[in-house]
Amino acid sequence: MPKLLIVDDESDVREFAKNFFQKRKIDVLTASGGKEALSILEKETPDLMLLDVRMGELSGVDTLRTLRKQGNQVKIIMVTGVEDPEVISEVESLGVTGYVHKPLALDELEQIVMKELGRKE
Amino acid sequence: MLKYKYIFFFLAALISLFFNFFVFLKNRKSLINKAFAAFGFSSFLWLFSFAIAYKADNPTIKLQWFNFGYYGIIFMPASFYFFTSVLIGIKRDKILKVFNWTIALIFLIIHVFKKSLILDLYYYDWWGFFPNTRHLIHVLFLIYLVLLFWISMALMAVYLFKMRHESGSTKFQRVKYVLAGTLVGSTSILDFLPSYGINFPPIGFLCMTAYPLVFSYAILKYRLMDVSIAITRTGIFIAVYSLVLGTPFAIAFGWREKLIELMGQNWWTVPLISSTALATAGPFLYLFLQKKTEDRLLRDQRRYQSTLRQASAGMSRIKDLKRLLNLIVYILSRAINLNHCLIYLYDENKREYVLEATRGKEREEQNSFIAENSPFIKYLDKAGVPIVYEEIKQKMHDFSDKKLKEVELKLRELEAEVVVPIATDKSLIAFGILGKKKSKEMYTPDDLAVFAILGNQVALAIENAQFYEESKKTQAQLFQAEKMATIGTMADGLSHQINNRLHALGFIAGDALDSIKLKSKEAEIAPEGIRDLLRDIMGALLKIQDNVRQGGEIVQGLLRYTRKGEEGFGPVDFDKLVDASVEMAQFKIKKDQLSIVKDYLKDIPKIYGNFTQLQEVFFNIIDNSYDAVQQRKAEVDDSNYKGKIKVSTRQTDGFLEINVLDNGIGVKDEDQIKLFTPFFTTKLSSKKGTGLGLYVMRKIVEENHHGRVFMSSEYMVGTLTVIKVPIVKK
Repeated sequence: MPKLLIVDDESDVREFAKNFFQKRKIDVLTASGGKEALSILEKETPDLMLLDVRMGELSGVDTLRTLRKQGNQVKIIMVTGVEDPEVISEVESLGVTGYVHKPLALDELEQIVMKELGRKE
Repeated sequence: MLKYKYIFFFLAALISLFFNFFVFLKNRKSLINKAFAAFGFSSFLWLFSFAIAYKADNPTIKLQWFNFGYYGIIFMPASFYFFTSVLIGIKRDKILKVFNWTIALIFLIIHVFKKSLILDLYYYDWWGFFPNTRHLIHVLFLIYLVLLFWISMALMAVYLFKMRHESGSTKFQRVKYVLAGTLVGSTSILDFLPSYGINFPPIGFLCMTAYPLVFSYAILKYRLMDVSIAITRTGIFIAVYSLVLGTPFAIAFGWREKLIELMGQNWWTVPLISSTALATAGPFLYLFLQKKTEDRLLRDQRRYQSTLRQASAGMSRIKDLKRLLNLIVYILSRAINLNHCLIYLYDENKREYVLEATRGKEREEQNSFIAENSPFIKYLDKAGVPIVYEEIKQKMHDFSDKKLKEVELKLRELEAEVVVPIATDKSLIAFGILGKKKSKEMYTPDDLAVFAILGNQVALAIENAQFYEESKKTQAQLFQAEKMATIGTMADGLSHQINNRLHALGFIAGDALDSIKLKSKEAEIAPEGIRDLLRDIMGALLKIQDNVRQGGEIVQGLLRYTRKGEEGFGPVDFDKLVDASVEMAQFKIKKDQLSIVKDYLKDIPKIYGNFTQLQEVFFNIIDNSYDAVQQRKAEVDDSNYKGKIKVSTRQTDGFLEINVLDNGIGVKDEDQIKLFTPFFTTKLSSKKGTGLGLYVMRKIVEENHHGRVFMSSEYMVGTLTVIKVPIVKK
C-alpha cells in the first residue's frame, strides 16, 4: 500500500485529505508541522509527501532544507499560497517533485498524487 | 479801516489761487480739474490785480492794475461755461465753446490795443477810486458775461431737474453744490455798479470768497474733483498763519503812531513780541483747530474706523473661513452703515473669484463669480489699493480707455462704490465690495487708508483660516494613507489566512463529494427522497468548490498587489510599457490635446522590473505632463500652443535612462525642492492631485527597482523627468 505524508497546520485540511486518500487505499500519515514531520520521517519512509510552505512552527521550506541535509530524498510536492519566484527557485534547487497552489480542489490533487504514486509501482 | 480794504481783495485772491492750484495739482490729467483751474486762475487775476490797485496811491498805477485785472475778468465767462460743460458732461457743444473763447479773445484784443474796457477812474468819497466803464463795448461785454453765467446756471438747474429721481448720485450732489456756490458767487456782479457811476460799494467780491468755501464743503462730503480733507488742513494753515504774520504787521502799520505816543522809540517791541508769541502759539493753534474741525467733520467716520481697526485685530483668531467672511461683511455693513457689502474669494480650481459672503444684496447668477482674467480683476490686482468707483468713472471719461470702461461697467453692475483688494504678498486672494453709505456721504481718503489696512489684516486672517482648513485636510489624508499602509501589511497575513480557510473548505467539500460518489451504487437503491437529497447535496458541494476557486483567485490578486520584494519582476519590454501606460491614461487624456513622441529604437534592451509597478510610474509621468500642459494652456491663452511629450532613451552601464520631456507649465523654483514630498501638490485640476504621485513613483523606482529618479523643471518652459532602471543581464 503506497504511503502518503500530509504536512499541514490546518487540522481540517489534514483530516479531510486523509479521509479522501484512505478511501483510495493509500496509507495516510499526517503531521501538523515541520517538526512533527521530521520526527515521523525518522521512522517512516512515505512514498510521497505533501508539504505546506507556510506553517507556524517550522516552515515547509525549512523542513525541506533539513530533510535534504539529512540526505532524505523523499518525493515532495510543495503546497504554496502564492506564486513567489524566490521560494520557487529555492525549493527547485533543493529538489522537489512539484508544487501546487492553494486553494486546490481535491480531485486535482488526486490526479497529481496518483500520478506520482503510480510511477512508483 | 477802509484804507486797508485791499487786504480783503488780497485774501480773496489768495484763497482763489490756493484753491485753484490745489485742485489742479491733485489731478492734472483730469479734465474737470483743468477746467476748474482755468476759471480759478481768471478769478485770481481779477482779485489780485484789484487788490494792488486799491493799495496803490498813484491813480495812474491804479488804472494800470485795474486794466490788468480785466485780463482775468475777460476769461471768466468762457472758462466758467467750460467748467459747467465738463461737470455736467454736455456733449456736442464744441461750437459754443469755440465761440465763447473767440468772443473772449476779441474782447482781449480790444482791451489790449484800445484799452477801451476801462475809460478812466471814478472817485467815491468813502470808497476811493474805481474803474469807469460806462461805454458800449463794456456793456456788450457785460451782456456776454451775464449771458454765459446764466446759461451755465440754467444748464445746471435743468440737469438737476432732470435727474431729481437720482438725487443720491454723486454727480447730482456735485452739480447741486456747484450751482449753490455759483449763485452765491454771482452776487459779485454787483461790483459792476460803481463802474457805471452808481454809488454802491463794491463788496460783491466778498461773495467770491464764499464760493470756494461752498466748494470745500462739497469736496469734503462728495469728493468733488477728487480733493480731500487736506484742503481743510491747508485752509486752517492759511488762516492761522495769516493771523500769526498779519497781526504784527497790522499792529505795526495801523497803530504805529499810537504806539510811538505810548512807548516812544521802543514802539517796535510790541509787534515783535506779539509776532514771537503768535509764532510760538501758531503750531499749537493749528493742531488744535485741525483736530477740532476734523473731529467734527469726520465724527462718524472716526467712530467706524476705530471699530474696524479693533475688529481687524481679532479676525486672525477665527479659524472657520466661512464664518470669518460672514463676520467681516457683517462688521463692515454695520459699522459704516452700508447699503450692501460683498466678499469674493479666489477659487484655485475654478480660477475665478467666487462670492462667498454677502449682506444687503441678493446672490445672483451673474454676480456669483468673476473670472480671474477679467479686466476688473487685473486692474484691482495692479492697483493694490482700494479703488473708488467715482475715480474710475472720472478716469474713464478723461482717458476713454477701453479696459477702464469694462472695469467701470463691472463696478456699476456690482453697485460698488469702493473695492478693497485683499492680497498677500503673492496674489490677490479675495476682495471686498462696499456699496453706498446709507448716509449718502462719500468715502474719504481716510476711509480708504483704513480699508487698505483692513484689507491686509483680512488677507492674513483668510490665509490663516485657509491654512488651518488645509492642514486639517492634510491630516485626514495622512491618516487615510496610514490606514491604507496598515491594511497593506495586514493584507498579506489576512489573505493567507483566508486562503487557508478556502483551501480547507475545498478539501471538506471535495471529500464529502467524493464519499457520496463512492456510495453511488447504494444510493441508486435508496428511496427516491434520499436520492434527491443526495443529488441536492452534491450540487451544493460543487457550488462550494466553484466558490472556493473564485475566492482563491481574488486572494491571489490581492496578494500580488500587496506583495513586496522581487515578485512579479522580470524582463519588461519598454515600448510595450509606454503603450500600456498611455493606454492607462487614455480615459483622461484626449489624444488631440497632447502628442506623445517616441524617440527611441524598437530593439532597446529589456528592463528588469515589475511591469505593473513601472506602468504606474509612467502613467504618473504622462498624467502629470498632461495636467501641466492643460494648466499652461489655461495660463497663456495662445492658440498656437500645443502640448507635447517626448520620450527618449539612453543606455548607460547596466541601466536604461529614460527621458520624458514635456512643454507644460513647469514648476516654480520655490516649489521644486518639495516635489517628492508626500501630499505636496501644485495641481489645480478639479480632482486635485493627492500629492502622492511623485512620492510613490520614487519609492517604486528607487526602492523596488534600485533605480533613480531625477526631475528638472522650469516654470513656463516645461519639465524633464529622468528615470534610470536596470537592464536585464545577459
